[in-house]
Amino acid sequence: MTDLIVRPTDADALAERLLTTQSPQRPQSAPAIRLEVDGRVIEGREGQTILEVCRDNGIEIPTLCYEPKLPGFGACRMCVVDVEGEEQPPISCSRAAEEGMKVQTQTEELRRIRATNLELIFSDHNAYCLPPCQNKCPSHIDIPGFLKANAEGEWRESARIFKRTIPFPSILGRVCPAPCETHCRRDEVDEAIAIRDSHRYAGDQVIADMAAGMDPPVPFDLQPRTGKRVAVIGSGPAGASAAYYLLINGHDVTIFDRDEKPGGMLRYGIPEYRLPKERILDREYESITRLGGVFACGKEFGKDFTLDDLQNQGFDAVLIAIGCYDTNKLGIPNEDADGVIDGLEYLKIATLGLEYPGHRGTRVVVVGGGFTAMDCARTSVRQGCAETTLVYRRDMKDMPAASEVHEAIEEGVTAIFQAGPTRVVTDEANRVTGVEFIRMQLGAPDDSGRRRPEPAPGTEFIVPCDRVLLAIGQGPDLRWMGPGNEGASATKWRRLAVDAVTFETGRPGVFGTGDVRMGAQTVVQAIADGRRASYAIDAYLRGMDLGELRTRQTLAEPQPEFLSIVPFTGEVKEPRIRLRSMPAEERNHNYVEYEHPYSVAEAVAESTRCLQCTCEAIGFCDLRRLGIEYGTTLRTLEPQHDRGAGYRSVSENRFTGVNHDYVRDDSHAFILREPARCIDCGRCANVCAEVVGAACYDFMRIGFDTLVTTPLDMSLNDTPCVSCGRCAETCPTGALMPKPRILQKYDVDESRCILCGICVDACPYDALRCGPDFELAHTSREHPMIDLIAIAALDRETEMTYVRRERDWAERALAEGRPVRPDRLLPVLPAGITSGGGNGHNGHGGTPGGDGAGAH
Amino acid sequence: MTTLLSTPAGWPRVVTAGFGAPDPLDLDAAVAGGAFDGLKKAIRTHGPTGTIALLRVSGLRGRGGGSYPTAEKWHACATAEGSVRHVVANGYEADPATHVARALMEERPYAVVEGVAIAAFAVGATESYVAVRAEYGEAVRRLREAVARAEAAGLIGANVLGTGRDIFIEVRPVRGAYMLGEETVLLKGLEGKRGQPEQRPPYPTEKGLWGRPTVVNDVVTLGAVGWIVANGAEAYAAIGDPATPGTVVVQVAGAVEEPGIAEVPIGTPLREIVGLAGKMASGHRLKAVVVGGVTGGILPPRELDTPYAAAALRDVGAHVGSGSILVADERTCVVDLATLLTRYCADEACGKTIPCRIGLRRLAEIGERAVSGHARPNDPILLADLSEDIVASALCGHERAATTPLTSVLRYFRPELDEHLLRSTCPAGVCHPVAVASAGSAT
Repeated sequence: MTDLIVRPTDADALAERLLTTQSPQRPQSAPAIRLEVDGRVIEGREGQTILEVCRDNGIEIPTLCYEPKLPGFGACRMCVVDVEGEEQPPISCSRAAEEGMKVQTQTEELRRIRATNLELIFSDHNAYCLPPCQNKCPSHIDIPGFLKANAEGEWRESARIFKRTIPFPSILGRVCPAPCETHCRRDEVDEAIAIRDSHRYAGDQVIADMAAGMDPPVPFDLQPRTGKRVAVIGSGPAGASAAYYLLINGHDVTIFDRDEKPGGMLRYGIPEYRLPKERILDREYESITRLGGVFACGKEFGKDFTLDDLQNQGFDAVLIAIGCYDTNKLGIPNEDADGVIDGLEYLKIATLGLEYPGHRGTRVVVVGGGFTAMDCARTSVRQGCAETTLVYRRDMKDMPAASEVHEAIEEGVTAIFQAGPTRVVTDEANRVTGVEFIRMQLGAPDDSGRRRPEPAPGTEFIVPCDRVLLAIGQGPDLRWMGPGNEGASATKWRRLAVDAVTFETGRPGVFGTGDVRMGAQTVVQAIADGRRASYAIDAYLRGMDLGELRTRQTLAEPQPEFLSIVPFTGEVKEPRIRLRSMPAEERNHNYVEYEHPYSVAEAVAESTRCLQCTCEAIGFCDLRRLGIEYGTTLRTLEPQHDRGAGYRSVSENRFTGVNHDYVRDDSHAFILREPARCIDCGRCANVCAEVVGAACYDFMRIGFDTLVTTPLDMSLNDTPCVSCGRCAETCPTGALMPKPRILQKYDVDESRCILCGICVDACPYDALRCGPDFELAHTSREHPMIDLIAIAALDRETEMTYVRRERDWAERALAEGRPVRPDRLLPVLPAGITSGGGNGHNGHGGTPGGDGAGAH
Repeated sequence: MTTLLSTPAGWPRVVTAGFGAPDPLDLDAAVAGGAFDGLKKAIRTHGPTGTIALLRVSGLRGRGGGSYPTAEKWHACATAEGSVRHVVANGYEADPATHVARALMEERPYAVVEGVAIAAFAVGATESYVAVRAEYGEAVRRLREAVARAEAAGLIGANVLGTGRDIFIEVRPVRGAYMLGEETVLLKGLEGKRGQPEQRPPYPTEKGLWGRPTVVNDVVTLGAVGWIVANGAEAYAAIGDPATPGTVVVQVAGAVEEPGIAEVPIGTPLREIVGLAGKMASGHRLKAVVVGGVTGGILPPRELDTPYAAAALRDVGAHVGSGSILVADERTCVVDLATLLTRYCADEACGKTIPCRIGLRRLAEIGERAVSGHARPNDPILLADLSEDIVASALCGHERAATTPLTSVLRYFRPELDEHLLRSTCPAGVCHPVAVASAGSAT
């Protein structure tokens, strides 16, 4: 508008404008007014808006564009309220409160209007809360976080980030089925990131450092010793993970195991060629003993000691993590014939590289499709069996261990799919001579989404063999229940009955975790479960209310809400860097780990491929919070069939249409701009122009393409930005965020610091605090340490902050009688309103796992 | 130049009287024809409050689309708190299909200047502005010249007609997009800010230009003021519909033989107004009229007896809007037309509010899906629901009115819409790749 030159206004008008654009004036001398809101008479002052009066009186009206420092803006239309006698609902942020006004804030129509507005926003919101990989990981590892550390060659920092949720990066780097990788967004560009191989590399560097005498990194500050003693029964992944976090929390832990050495299924269920025992397992388990954990091996629960014994010995809490060792039966004729072997029994000997008696030269049939079946088959090949046949009743793609099947076939295993055993064929001496199978055809999909196999009559066939290894899943051995162990009970699915959130059994002070309560699951699930149980026990030992724990439990579970999978078409294509395997003919007769690790350059290069799909605003995002309250977000990546076909992302709702995919601006040192997360509320523009005076942002372009951004989308560095961070502070979403991972890299040069304290006062994120030296200059400083990484310490303290915020919001919503959709509740919500009995997680809430194929 | 349609002899010409003068800038000729008689009368006879009272009796309402009583607006401004007031004449004719304001500003610049001067006198404004769309170069030139000549003649400027009152008028070309036609956006434009509307209340009469009480009137409204003051309120009140008296200048365009503008008494049936523009083009049949410009309602022939007045039009789902009446014949697909209009509104949105920025685009997409054969099962319901929610949470008139074209299709042309949605055929043979209905089945 070149023709428009603003006339110089007279001084009075300028002053008037400045006044009206600063904080709304609320003179305490203004006369009081009374109005009725939601049937309640409340008091305000003349000149206040309806919104201000309501907020002062604790009545919540949702807003997105409202900035308390400035007059109402009116862009988001979320704060609409009903005023009696008015046809059009006014917006409460701009409408002055009047004496005697009758206001409704939560009518059905208002909620509908707000929900529509939210849906409209989401339909153009090409973003996500948690990255899909982190969402999919049962333990919700901060994957972008450790990959970023990897990319910078910070292996110990990478391992430290990893250990916040899983203590064993190297073990998981070998045995995890890596569900994260199947949801990696990089897959849309070229290939998924090798997430598992990347943390394996970082973990291996830590192990190498241990040889040089360095302690492995500990993810959190070690808590002062509490003097409380915990007995963990079972040293498998669940028990070990629980022990690890209990030790960090300051408790004394003794871990009992019936076997000679700790590790449980990791040691006795996973072959050496996949998980080297001395080089990796023992080293990573050392992180428990280095923290003071004690292993008491060779002591079998139920035989050598009981719960009574443990509690009499003064253990304040007991955790049962004995796993699943009771192999399921096929329920077919001749199952007890000579030569039918329990797969786990077999592995227990064979995984240590010991010859299983009489195995060489035999023909073996392995029944099952899980990791146990795969290990049985591949180990049998290594032990010199003449023929190894793996038979699975479903299709190959539905196999739990599908990722490994090609390697098994390379090594010489014959695989038969879609065949189920009908009987074991024996000779007169009841020795196995073969197994009869029947062809399965695929029927209708079952609960797991896989098509249910059904026998096709008349298609029976016999596979001749000498030995049958059964690996069709396991359940827990619960025969210890009874005298000395009263109080613990079993569920109808033959699992230990454990509260899914507090992990309590029926016996006070006794908890249960891992496979014993979930049924056979993967290692990563067991570890996640163990960690959650440790927090429950910690709370119990500290005398906290376990009901409260339902909320606290979630501190480790930053649950995703909406996710969107958007192709990043502009990215440079780089293929994934794969681990090289030994040739099949070389590896099929030895137990050496068959995958060669990355070189340093490869490990860095692979991690650099990560797109860093993380939203730093998770937990602070008003859009997400309102989306949950108004039921307009999605919880999973899976298609939501009840909401129409294939909704997979937040932008897919009834308004789905064209949407924007903006490039993020990473150029500024402290402020990250993610325009894809911008909802055009204008808060940053208004605050920057009216409060700060820099005016870096404004509404740019027109119509649907309007975006609040810098002129010409230039870098923030080229604007009058003063790096005050107020824009990021006011942003209701993750469109403008401080860069914690960058901030933490700044160092104070203490030789030059004059203790002025200006940096501390200026920093809007409390990234800088005063240290003891500052005490000399400013006696009122509270935090006696220079803590440059306060913002980056995204540890439990920080996580708690946002859990608390979310909980407070939910509690308020409930207290005010606003409906909160139970099917969308985060597990951060207060006790009593979490839906069902599950722990808020799909898949491992206590139901028996799938078709129970052996799982690690 | 747009044609001025001939109207029946008895119809008064308030705004368009004097159109076609050989030199519109000839002040002497204009004064001889009665220009500035109103201003003189207001100053010498009525005084500020008397002038407002006179306007109230005349029943003049805003012609910019809002139909708000002009006298009330002036009264609110004159009595609002503040020492400095402004008058802004809105000459930003946003609707791309109308040239009524342009014709007035070019043909009778002195009528506009007089109207602004009377308003400024009545509310007590010293500085007034005529904000003209910058593309209207000739209008800007003529208005500036008219202001200069009137000031030189002492009709406006310092010490107007020896009263001691100063009435300065400045012609401001403004450049922007469609949204600049909205009054709060226009004020932002004059202030040099991004053109986005403000929540009302407070209305500009309370807090307008630079936060001061401001009257914003359409130039066409102001163009009638001089006549009313000169000829008396009763003369104006006697014209047309007794409830909302006066005349309105409309522009009839589309599939008619003689498109042009015409001044018609309010309450004239639509059929008669359309008839002013001659027969339908080359023997085609009238299928629909779009009443109210790009945000107008699309009405079928059976609604042509509707009187052209605010309340009656609202009842049938249309509005006066920019004064545009677009005639469509049977070669037009109303779904396609409504989609085009909605998309235009969506693309011209200022982008401030969610329902407008995203909602209008989604509304247009529903239409685009219908005309391209990609309709979703719930689209008609979605159309109705979304329109309702946009109207309910709208910030300004734009998003509220922009839902009109598609909702009027739902209301009057549902069978044609259903042909698109259910059978992927376009009876008018316009939409592709929606299959074109065979000639025989076109009804």
